[in-house]
Amino acid sequence: MSLLFRNRSIEKGASSRGRLPWWRRLIMVPVHHAQQAIASLGELWRNPFASFMTMAVLGLSLTLPSSLYVLVKNTSTIADNWQEASEVTLFLRKDLEQSEIDTLKTQTELSEGVESVRLIPKEQGLEEFKEQSGFGETLDYLSSNPLPDVLVVIPAESHRSPQRAEALLNRLEKQREVAYAKMDLEWLNRLQGILNLIEDILGALAVVLCLSVVLIVGNTIRLNILSKRDEIMVMKLVGATNAFIQRPFLYTGVWYGIIGGLVAWLATALLIWWVESAVVDLTELYETPFQLNGLTLGELLIIWLIAVGLGLAGSYLAVRRHIQSIEPE
Amino acid sequence: MIRFEQVSKTYRGGHQALSHVDFHVEPGEMAFLTGHSGAGKSTLLKLISLMERPTAGRVLINGHDLRKIKPSQVPYVRRDIGMIFQDHRLLMDKTVFDNVALPLIIEGYSVQEARKRVVAALEKVGIADKVKHYPQMLSGGEQQRVGIARAIVTKPPLLLADEPTGNLDPKLSMEIIRLFEEFNKVGVAVLIATHDLGLIARLRYRTLTLKDGRMINDGLEDSEL
Repeated sequence: MSLLFRNRSIEKGASSRGRLPWWRRLIMVPVHHAQQAIASLGELWRNPFASFMTMAVLGLSLTLPSSLYVLVKNTSTIADNWQEASEVTLFLRKDLEQSEIDTLKTQTELSEGVESVRLIPKEQGLEEFKEQSGFGETLDYLSSNPLPDVLVVIPAESHRSPQRAEALLNRLEKQREVAYAKMDLEWLNRLQGILNLIEDILGALAVVLCLSVVLIVGNTIRLNILSKRDEIMVMKLVGATNAFIQRPFLYTGVWYGIIGGLVAWLATALLIWWVESAVVDLTELYETPFQLNGLTLGELLIIWLIAVGLGLAGSYLAVRRHIQSIEPE
Repeated sequence: MIRFEQVSKTYRGGHQALSHVDFHVEPGEMAFLTGHSGAGKSTLLKLISLMERPTAGRVLINGHDLRKIKPSQVPYVRRDIGMIFQDHRLLMDKTVFDNVALPLIIEGYSVQEARKRVVAALEKVGIADKVKHYPQMLSGGEQQRVGIARAIVTKPPLLLADEPTGNLDPKLSMEIIRLFEEFNKVGVAVLIATHDLGLIARLRYRTLTLKDGRMINDGLEDSEL
């Protein structure tokens, strides 16, 4: 491409050999990219210590969010398994006859979504409370039993999801004999709340770490560019475009990402392996077999892509600012 | 080929390097540009290669007004101009081959395609046997030849040389000038900036003279007188 001299290829140069036809240039584009990619990998070897530091920073910065992610993922699975209402407690009104209570119990047993019903009469309730609360004999001074009769309803398998159990609870509560009903899902909701909080913190942490990775990579590439100032000037003098000059630096950023991603994999795997034995010891005490889930192939790929993206973003920031500003003098 | 019309250049800080310079170098012409240090020789060459832009006036190459060249087009203009520097401006960590091949690689040649041309250029400047050497292993004259080979490898229609013989003894200087003459013979326009008056005196080429940023002699009037 000659701006100033039309048909420069047939211009009387030293010889009449033409320049490259356009399709040859087009074919050469991917070849050049590959060559420059490999060349910039070679460049990394020239300064292995500095390069590896940057890669390690990139990798380790990604390790923290990805390990936390594994933690949240596993806790969520546990929470999902326990996300079942094991029982609904019905507190009955105090003015009921014994026959009414028995009828209600039979009715409830027959209603849809109920597996079994257990009656805890108020006398038995008081006895249990005496034993468990530690008030003991003190409670004998009460003139009357303050506790209501209680029906403990175990929902059928099909009605144990939070929504279904909630519906069952509302239905049972509407009955005339029931003062109010309660479900043992509260603590699960709280666990879910805590998990959501951790997820939010994780997200914020990941964003901050990613930003710092971009800045660190950008700074490393900036130093690379400045150390090649003279070379860049010479290239500009013989007609290299900014795009041509910045390409190797962008590839360097991509390589940082590729190798940094591998570092992140390794470090995360190590961390999970380390925690796993502790988790297994813990679950053995509870006699519940538990398998810690690591990262899936898809998640590993995503981490890798993020790492490459961060490397590229950092180097792009650096080349945009610095390649343009270096002009031959 | 190169036309300056009332070109002035004032650097930031107020130093006026060129004022109202007018001249025209014909296609295929070979000319010297001379003047004492600081007379504006380098500035003039920088205006042609778009390393600087004029404060006033206009510069034309082959009829194209350089004011209309956008920054993104500057690299393509430079590919049409072979530039040679006193300090060679070679890449010291690259071989002679890589240095000379650089302009071709930038234009999209593969290394294989570039090889023939690189070897031809090095043969022309007489150092084909040094292709695998690094610049540090070469003498000053040889380094300058590498710089010339790099400038001519793309066969540009215009060569600019800034003090190409600055560090060389008279014999080597003459050899370098003879090289430029050879390129000029095949139609390349050559503009050589030098303060080596002895060298110019031995040759009978047009000589443009700058003094304090003014063109006091454009080399034409003398012949007309």
